Amino acid sequence: MISIPVRYLYDHLYKDLDLEILAGEKGMDRAIRIARIQKPGLALAGFLDQLHRDRVQILGATELSYLETLDQDLGDERMDQLCSAGVSCLIIAKNLIAPESLVNLCELHQVPLLRSPEITSSLIRRVTVYLEDVLAPETSVHGCLVDVFGVGILLIGKSGIGKSECALGLVARGHRLVGDDVVVLRRKMQDAIFGSAENLIKYHMEIRGLGILNIRDLFGVSSIRKSKKIELVVELVEWHNDLKVERLGLEDNTYSMLGLEIPYLNIPVRPARDLTMIIEVAARNHLLRRMGFNAAKEFDKTLNERLASQTQDTGKPDLESME
Amino acid sequence: MVRVELVIPNKLGLHARAAGKLVEAASPFDCEIWLNKGQQRVNGKSIMGILTLAAARGETIVMEITGPDEERALKVLKKLVLSGFGEKA
Repeated sequence: MISIPVRYLYDHLYKDLDLEILAGEKGMDRAIRIARIQKPGLALAGFLDQLHRDRVQILGATELSYLETLDQDLGDERMDQLCSAGVSCLIIAKNLIAPESLVNLCELHQVPLLRSPEITSSLIRRVTVYLEDVLAPETSVHGCLVDVFGVGILLIGKSGIGKSECALGLVARGHRLVGDDVVVLRRKMQDAIFGSAENLIKYHMEIRGLGILNIRDLFGVSSIRKSKKIELVVELVEWHNDLKVERLGLEDNTYSMLGLEIPYLNIPVRPARDLTMIIEVAARNHLLRRMGFNAAKEFDKTLNERLASQTQDTGKPDLESME
Repeated sequence: MVRVELVIPNKLGLHARAAGKLVEAASPFDCEIWLNKGQQRVNGKSIMGILTLAAARGETIVMEITGPDEERALKVLKKLVLSGFGEKA
C-alpha cells in the first residue's frame, strides 16, 4: 500500500498553503495512506467509530467552536481521543487559534499540528488533490505514449517492432510525445489512468541507427507534453498468416491496466503499411466513437436493414431476424 | 524462466555505452528479458529503459529471462555484466 510521511505533504505544500507547524514536529514521519481527508466533528462529539487511522484531519471553525462549548475536562478528553487514534496529522484552517490543550496533546502524542490561512473548503480540496496525486496506484510499462489529436495513445508491443519509430513519425506530423520506452502509469480520480515519462529520460527517444534523440530540442516545446490521460492502447504485432485480427471493428476490445479497462486495438505491422497514418486514423476514429458514432456499427445497421428489406417472404416466420 | 542477481562491478555503473552493449547482446535472443532494480522493472532490449535504472557500481540488478534460448542468453548477459561491460575497472 502506498503511503507518504506527513513531512512530504508539508514540504510540498507549505509554500502554496502557507503551512506552519504548531506542535508535534516529532511525528512528521507518521504515514498518510488515504487520500480522502476527514473532518473530525463527530469524533469530537464522542462518536469515534468512523475516525480513521492514517488520514489527514482538518479542523475548521465548526470543530473549534464546538470544542469551546465543551467543559475543559470533556474537551481535553475528546481531543486526547482524537490525537491517540493514529491519525496522520491535524490541519487547522483559516489561521484559527489552536486551543492550548490541543497543542499540548499533539506534542505529547507526537501528532503534527499544522495550520494554514486557507479557508476550510479550499484547504480540503487542495490537500485532497495533492494526496490523490501522490497516493495514486502506479506502475510502469514498456511502450510509448503519444498525444494524437488530443487522444492519449499508448503504443505497446515487442521490442524492435517499431514503437519508437511510429511515435517519432507521429511527432514529425505535429503530434506530441509524452514518453518513450518506459511510461509511468498512475491511476487518478478512480476512472482515469495518466501516463508520464520517467524523469531521467523524459523528452528523449532512442531510434535504431540514429541513437538517443532529444525530441524537445529537435521539434520544439509543442512536440512534447508532461503527462496525458490514456484513452487508447495500441499493440503493434508482427504480421503472420494465422494472426487473428479485428477486420470489422464491431468488437470493443479492452486492455486491463491498474484495474481499469482501456479501449484496445491490435495492429499488424508489415512493410508498406504506413503505421503513423494508421495510428492517426485510429485516433480520429476514437474521437468519433467518443462522440457516439461508430462507423462499423452504423454500417452493420444499414446492411441489416437492406438485408431485411430484400428478404423474400418464404411464408414461414423468420425467427432469426425477429430476435 | 531463469533469473539471476547481478552486482554492477564497473566504476561508471550502467552508463549509456554499457547499456548499449547490453542491449546489443540481448537483442538477438528470442527471449523476453526484464531487468529489475528495486521496484523498477524495464525491458532488457530497450536502451532507454535500461538507462532509467541508473544502476551505479555496487547496486544489484535482477535479470529475468524467458524464452527458448533463455539459458544461453543468461550465460552471455551475465558474463557481460560481470566483466564490467568489458571496461577496465
